[in-house]
Amino acid sequence: MKRLFLALLFIIGFTALVRAEEYTFDISEIEKKPYHIGGYAEFKPVFFGLDKKASLFKLKFYNRDEGATLEEYNSTLQLEGSLQKGIAGLFIKTNTDYKKSYLGEDQQTTIYDGFLSLKPSSSLTIDLGKKTLKWGKGYAWNPTAFVDRPKDPDEPEQSMEGFILASADYIKSFDGALKTVSFTPVLIPVYNHMNNTFGDINKLNFAGKLYFLFYDTDIDFIIFTGGSKTTRYGADFSRNITPNFEIHGEFSFINDYKKKFIDGNGNSFEKEYDAKNYLIGIRYLTEKDTTYIFEYYRNGTGFSSGEMRDYFSFINKGYDSYISTGSATLIKKALTLTEGNYGKPNPTRDYIYLRVSQKEPFDMLYFTPSATVILNAADKSFSLSPELSYTGITNLELRVKAAFISGERLTEYGEKQNDYRTELRARYYF
Amino acid sequence: MLKIIGFILTLIIAMPVYAIDGAALLKQVDRNLSPESYESYRKLINIEPDGRKKEFTLFTAKKGMDKVASLFLAPASEKGRSTLRLGDNMWLYIPNVGKPVRITSLQSVVGGVFNNADILQLDYAAEYNVEKVEEKGNEYLLYLKAKTKTVAYDRLKVWADKGKKLPTKIECLTEANMLIKTLYFKDIKDFGGGIVRPAVIETDSPLYKGYKSVMIFAGIKERKFKDEVFTLTFMPNLESLR
Repeated sequence: MKRLFLALLFIIGFTALVRAEEYTFDISEIEKKPYHIGGYAEFKPVFFGLDKKASLFKLKFYNRDEGATLEEYNSTLQLEGSLQKGIAGLFIKTNTDYKKSYLGEDQQTTIYDGFLSLKPSSSLTIDLGKKTLKWGKGYAWNPTAFVDRPKDPDEPEQSMEGFILASADYIKSFDGALKTVSFTPVLIPVYNHMNNTFGDINKLNFAGKLYFLFYDTDIDFIIFTGGSKTTRYGADFSRNITPNFEIHGEFSFINDYKKKFIDGNGNSFEKEYDAKNYLIGIRYLTEKDTTYIFEYYRNGTGFSSGEMRDYFSFINKGYDSYISTGSATLIKKALTLTEGNYGKPNPTRDYIYLRVSQKEPFDMLYFTPSATVILNAADKSFSLSPELSYTGITNLELRVKAAFISGERLTEYGEKQNDYRTELRARYYF
Repeated sequence: MLKIIGFILTLIIAMPVYAIDGAALLKQVDRNLSPESYESYRKLINIEPDGRKKEFTLFTAKKGMDKVASLFLAPASEKGRSTLRLGDNMWLYIPNVGKPVRITSLQSVVGGVFNNADILQLDYAAEYNVEKVEEKGNEYLLYLKAKTKTVAYDRLKVWADKGKKLPTKIECLTEANMLIKTLYFKDIKDFGGGIVRPAVIETDSPLYKGYKSVMIFAGIKERKFKDEVFTLTFMPNLESLR
């Protein structure tokens, strides 16, 4: 009994509750610990309605009969950890995906981030290790993100795998129209066993970003050079025109970009040119809490509608050849061309993105319905994705999302493997 | 005649003694609420009509008239998020998104009745001019008008205790005097270092009928920060200030 009483006293003393009327604030909640472990666990079942006439359906399922619909069950465990000692900190983020689909079960663990961070002063940070930089101001696309993997515009807020690099941030603040200047130099080694998917190997690359907050406008100037990819330059900006109206843009110039493409018979071509990419966008919040995000993206490295038609035609030719002769030679060639080339997210030239979300309609706290349209402005094909999200339960995010895909034959979205997809995502943070 | 002149002279001499300097009073209210540069720990609680609660814990750093940064410590789903305000500019950094995005003062990063301007509060005197001051028993009633169109609320009516020179209630209004929300300041507490101020701010709004949000201060103390802390580049590193 005495032990129990002492234990109770200890617990009361340890938690040191600050009481304010019926509200409590546990001091232990704000105690800083030298380490942190957290993350989330996610469950995401997906249901696909297939388009059996689409080229990309034929490419993927030419030798299988999976019916008109497919189910897929995805689970993700993302773990984050940090350890802080003096000016040094260690950070790690791992991502484990488990998928059960028509292909069977698959599991993959990837280190997204893992780096040592040194902060000798509030003006200087030095990071060494695997890290994502996420440069650029665009919401759906970032043509100036020279040192990041391509973002999926369908899930632009998803965390991504970084690259192994060394970077520093030097910050200087001022009074007056120019409020902040910061410089971020980055070294990206690309060798056989390090960043080998980044570009040409056995090169040490350099990237740099110079940031200004000038007349209330965020401005970045960006450069990448070194040989793993051709030299490229970029600039971006973001500014609030009024408190509820933001405008942003990005521009990048890529020297000697090499584009590989095919004609309808599968003959390969290569074209070298200086590519210009740009993006212009707005974010507008109405008095009724409706947010509009609109972006136009010009992808100078992308394929023309004609080049995409040739690619889809070649897949159809390969499929017809497989059906009539049983030979998969052509369709396998199309599969090879798809990976990392035609298969990139948004491989063509002109896109429009519009997302409309309504915060907490009908006084329903934490409930947000939204809809997203991604339109291929050249061939007029598009995807429309309505979604409902609810975050009212602490640490639990629930989201129901659908995607309806529409377009003529031989257009980008018209040739996607699905007509529609629906998914539920339950994500629990700990 | 002499009596009249004497009366007028007495009035002229006496008036400055009793006239209330609204601007000075508002600055005094600001300083009594917090030092110009400080760090604080707060909890925000959103309470739904059925009694369900959602809580957020924040560490906040403020410097001078126009620099505030906040870091979410809890719940786990929000941990690591940070917000920055430099004058009229506001940004939100979400670790998964990996880069700061511009937000507006009228949005709310936590949902509920508190919006970003409430969470990243600057000095009232930095954003408002005092139009007039009335005396209401033991309280002053200050009528404030926003200095610019970019301020979240066009008008404020501030009831302040005469003795303590601390707010007891603030009504936030549109230009057309429509009530947006009311803040109630409660539970005056000694935080040390000469800071004696309300530990609890409750708010309700006719726009969110039945909902209530509460801000509780667990700690607030004067602290000097370098300007570089209040930059976009530093947002992912706010935890290092604790």
